[in-house]
Amino acid sequence: MRELINMIVVLSLISGASGLSLAYLKDMTAKPIEDQVLFYVQGPALKAVFPDAENDPLADRKKFDTADGAVTVFPVKKGGKLTAVALEAFGPGYGGDIGVIVGIDVAKNTLAGIGVTTLKETPGLGMRVTEAKYQKQFKGLALDKVGLSGKGGTVDAVSGATISSTGTVTAANKAIEIYKSLKPKLEGAF
Amino acid sequence: MSIVKEFTKGLWKEIPPFRLVLGLCPTLAVTKTASDGMGMGAAVIFVLVLSNVIISLVRKIIPKKVRIACFIVIAASLVVSVELLMQAYAYPLYQSLGIFVPLIVVNCIILGRAEAFAAKNPVLMSAADGLGMGIGFTLSLTFLGALREIFGYGKLFGSAVFGPAFKPFTFMVEAPGAFVCLGLILAAMNYLAIWQSKRAGLPEPAIAASCGGCRACAIGESKQIVEG
Repeated sequence: MRELINMIVVLSLISGASGLSLAYLKDMTAKPIEDQVLFYVQGPALKAVFPDAENDPLADRKKFDTADGAVTVFPVKKGGKLTAVALEAFGPGYGGDIGVIVGIDVAKNTLAGIGVTTLKETPGLGMRVTEAKYQKQFKGLALDKVGLSGKGGTVDAVSGATISSTGTVTAANKAIEIYKSLKPKLEGAF
Repeated sequence: MSIVKEFTKGLWKEIPPFRLVLGLCPTLAVTKTASDGMGMGAAVIFVLVLSNVIISLVRKIIPKKVRIACFIVIAASLVVSVELLMQAYAYPLYQSLGIFVPLIVVNCIILGRAEAFAAKNPVLMSAADGLGMGIGFTLSLTFLGALREIFGYGKLFGSAVFGPAFKPFTFMVEAPGAFVCLGLILAAMNYLAIWQSKRAGLPEPAIAASCGGCRACAIGESKQIVEG
């Protein structure tokens, strides 16, 4: 009996100490991790969508509250004026969620382009949604006309990768929904 | 048993992947380049030294029956810490090591050293053992990574070593290349050890039939016979 209690106490103590220190560390590293992800994951995708931005969209980002939680919006400026915004949304892919940075032209109300941030798709098939040939089809689309060509839209899916293609389109449409709901707040914010 | 001896045994005599043939999962998987191997090694050094120290500190209060569970909890917490720190301060390394960072938990070296050494020895000795084993592991991974990077990409630590006329031997950076390289290194280590014991006038290590003709274990035995 003594042995049993001893076992329970020691194992609980060790687990508790581990849990406490990990919680503390997680809290401490949350901020640097967010910065690193922005710099290494979302930064390159933003650069690809807006190669000619005159500001630093990463540094000027702001958080907005929506019904589904906080959303980070990256503003793109030219000549001191807000020309476009970018935000990240996720759509279900073949190997987990696909993260897509969606750029939206504020004046024309069209898509400025998309860039993929995170994905774990099949190499050679689903991974091809990161290719420029697929992504440039999104450029200039009206906000309510984003869809695959099989479903009334104009985007041709990557052959053999319908799920991954649908995932990027879903993500783009989610981003557009968020943009529409945030639009009144965005104009004065940047 | 001196502290120096505990430290140096991990560097050559019991060098983890090549002599103990432990921890092969990361050895084969993340040695595409020398810097990946080195990064993995650094993570393992951190976990191994700290887990050895902590386990050695609490070795007297851990009940025998739940010791493995305690070791794993300690190792897992350290690995998660490494993962968080790596994400926060070395994100590109985290991206290239991917799933293999969390898998350090199940690396045989961590649990092996905890059970075989840290649970029975004082703190300083355990730290020396962990550091030696960790450095040996890092050296092995960096060496294997360098070999594969040189022939597979024509580069070393990212800078070109051959002229532009070099055509990379891409087989080396694919999965089979890792097995072939490791096999050649093990063969070379065996050959060297046999040659050394012949020169020293020791009996030639016997072939262990069940291990495909490997003589690594017998080398240790024949030395012990002479030393004892």
